[in-house]
Amino acid sequence: MTAPFASPGWTRRVLHDRPARVAAAFLVVLGLVALFAPVLATHDPQSGQLDDALQEPSAEHWLGTDHLGRDEFSRLVYGARISLLAGVEVLGIALLIGIPVGLMAGYRRGWFDRIGMRVVEVVVSLPALVVAIAVVAATGPGLGPSMLAIGFVAATIMARLTRAVVLAAREEDYVDGARVSGARDRRIIVRHLLPNVASALVVQATLLFAAAVLAEAALSFLGLGAVPPQPSWGVMLNEARAQFEEAPLLAVWPGLCIFLTVLAFNQLGDRTADVFGRGGVAALDARPIDPAVPAADPAPVSGSPPALDLRRVSVTYGASEVVSDVSVSVAGGEIVGLVGESGAGKSTTALAALGLVPAPGRTRAGSIRVAGVELVGMAPGELRHVRGRRIGYVAQEPAAALNPAYTVGHQFAEPLRWHLGRSRRQARAEAGEWLERVGIAPERVGGYPHEFSGGELQRIALAMALACGPAVLVADEPTTALDAVVQAQVLDLVLDLRDESGTAILLISHDLGVVAGVADRVAVMRAGRIVEIQETVALFDRPQDPYTQQLLAVAGA
Amino acid sequence: MGMARLVLWRVLAVVPIMLVVSFVTFVLLSTNPVDPAEQLLGPTASEEQLEAKRHELGLDEPVLVRYADWLGGAVTGDLGQSIYTTTPVATSIGDRAGVTLSLTVGGLIVALVIGFPAGVSSAMRAGRPADRLTMVAATAGQAVPAFWLGTLLLLVFAVRWSIFNAVFYVPPSDSVTGWLKSIVLPCIALGASGAAWIARQTRSELVTVLQQDYIRTALAKGASRHQVLFGHALRNAGGPLLTVVALLVSAVLSASFVIEAVFALPGLGSLALESINRNDPAPVLGFVVCVVFVVVIVNVLLDLIQGWLNPKVRAL
Repeated sequence: MTAPFASPGWTRRVLHDRPARVAAAFLVVLGLVALFAPVLATHDPQSGQLDDALQEPSAEHWLGTDHLGRDEFSRLVYGARISLLAGVEVLGIALLIGIPVGLMAGYRRGWFDRIGMRVVEVVVSLPALVVAIAVVAATGPGLGPSMLAIGFVAATIMARLTRAVVLAAREEDYVDGARVSGARDRRIIVRHLLPNVASALVVQATLLFAAAVLAEAALSFLGLGAVPPQPSWGVMLNEARAQFEEAPLLAVWPGLCIFLTVLAFNQLGDRTADVFGRGGVAALDARPIDPAVPAADPAPVSGSPPALDLRRVSVTYGASEVVSDVSVSVAGGEIVGLVGESGAGKSTTALAALGLVPAPGRTRAGSIRVAGVELVGMAPGELRHVRGRRIGYVAQEPAAALNPAYTVGHQFAEPLRWHLGRSRRQARAEAGEWLERVGIAPERVGGYPHEFSGGELQRIALAMALACGPAVLVADEPTTALDAVVQAQVLDLVLDLRDESGTAILLISHDLGVVAGVADRVAVMRAGRIVEIQETVALFDRPQDPYTQQLLAVAGA
Repeated sequence: MGMARLVLWRVLAVVPIMLVVSFVTFVLLSTNPVDPAEQLLGPTASEEQLEAKRHELGLDEPVLVRYADWLGGAVTGDLGQSIYTTTPVATSIGDRAGVTLSLTVGGLIVALVIGFPAGVSSAMRAGRPADRLTMVAATAGQAVPAFWLGTLLLLVFAVRWSIFNAVFYVPPSDSVTGWLKSIVLPCIALGASGAAWIARQTRSELVTVLQQDYIRTALAKGASRHQVLFGHALRNAGGPLLTVVALLVSAVLSASFVIEAVFALPGLGSLALESINRNDPAPVLGFVVCVVFVVVIVNVLLDLIQGWLNPKVRAL
């Protein structure tokens, strides 16, 4: 999370975003209005002629006058001053107290961190308004004391965030490096940590400013902050309430000013956060697999059809094509290895075979047949009857592949219930049998994923993928996250299960050793294309493509 | 840490928090330069009369002694009394708690009933136009000050069209429909920005969860959108969302004090404001302590639910 914040030019990237630019421009204008209020205001904001009270908008009074005959426009202009000053005061307190406290707590840890954070946790949970009420009850109403109270709460929010970001950043190599090279703590904090956490704090500061503007208006509305005749937007809104019948617009303008200002700060903060946040969208945005253009050549008829048959599969993300015209087939009982460097498009090809390429990626294919069933053009709702039933999938990271909130048995039972119509009890019993088959005590079926080792989880994931007896298993780096001994166990299990069930297996791996050991045929991928596909022995003996030769040479095979 | 220990630990932690909050507030209020004796007796009172009054009110004792006195009463439910009206603070708070409770619960319902489904449906369509539109509305909605929205609602529905009560409160014991009429507008005003906020938080939590590997596993097993959403995603987004709800409770509760002022409802907020304006410390202290207590307890409860949802915590 911290890494992208460190990259230079992030302000430019934020301003590249149009809503952020609009918000920033609005705030600059607002700042100028506040600064040059005496020039811009057409009248004295604090005094007026009672004779002029509650006038309609006119050339003299652009937005009319209030109940005391004061010019509404001029009061709004001066209101920007109060609003922004309140924000500056709150933010100033938050930054001056919160950042040093957070930096020290996060960097030094120890008693300062323990005690400091205990206090912070308590204050953060208090409603800022209640803190302000307590303070104002002691000091009497006024902008100073009420914003002091809000600033105090804001400081704890800032301290907590700073600490969290520092805790993450101090694990980074550059901090270790600086420490090893003998840099002093203060230098490490100022030169290395602060710049890296700065943009995260900018986001929070922007949102705090919005909160401060809102708090000032609310407190002034209640008569605890700015007090009449000060032209605070909150005060103006409160005063307008007595003139509802005669001049309803007086209740609209100050609220609109608060709304726009808060919106602009929020928007700027959110957009800045988005620039650094990971994009990406949810997996639920299912799309059908589109037919390739021009249409695929007819499948050659030669004996029994393969269990998995991919023809001319392409995957595009916007303008870039990450998988190009990949064709590969796996016969029943066969294991085909798909190898290549990371980023070659192996995993995307695997997901395409299940119609699971995450949006905004688009899959186009001449044909994707699983056990003779054509997936191209199938509605997303129908695809799910194929997944888990006819084609199983095992991912790389076993610990992440199982839902931490549910028992293994529950997750195992799901495909059995969905596809085979098993009752809960039946499905659970079958899950237990499967666990036993893969060498795990069946009683552990009620355990949660965190109670299993990585090797155990991967065996469970394999068994789960095969539970409904699919014709095809797609295994994406199933052993990469495991240590050597466990890796061998899992591979043995894959072979055993294949021998028992005759499942076709597409095995994706960057590890040529793994593939050489188990695959019947190997396909080599590079930059989204298959460059060579051969029997395993032939490929290792006589690689045809220069890239394959290079790959083998690097692997020392 | 097991569930039982977690419960005990969290509940016990409330005690020091309440002690510190009440003590700090007590000391803070005692620094008010306004002399209650002088306020009560007027500027013509002699120094002896003032002394006597201060003695009567116990103001001549040191702060620590007075706090200890107050604390002794507070643990038995006696939160002191108003200097001016001599009404017990506990009574005033009891009288007004109904309004605050109605507003807060109503505001929460509005926020959750609108915000949560909006966030879920947005997450399911993440990146699509419907999602963008919802999020634009939510971003705008979040910036609308509750007291402004309340003012506008009042202007349109009560003053112009007289559909709802303008500015008086009907307790539900008098008339349920009257009560509803008196709190519908305030609750909408209170809940609107909360709804916007909940929608955004729900969407962002869900989108984060939906990018996890186990969601892909579920899809690869043949789960439908519904099964993924309700069977896998919500359970995992639930924990973070409970934290959001805890913040929402606190936000709606404090916003209710402002909304009271808009609709002239006699809740806890108006008690605090009246007491501040009179320089009457006891009700302010009682207000702060009660509100903080509620907020802290809500936090503890939601914390415990969150712990219970997490199998790692529950199992041990």
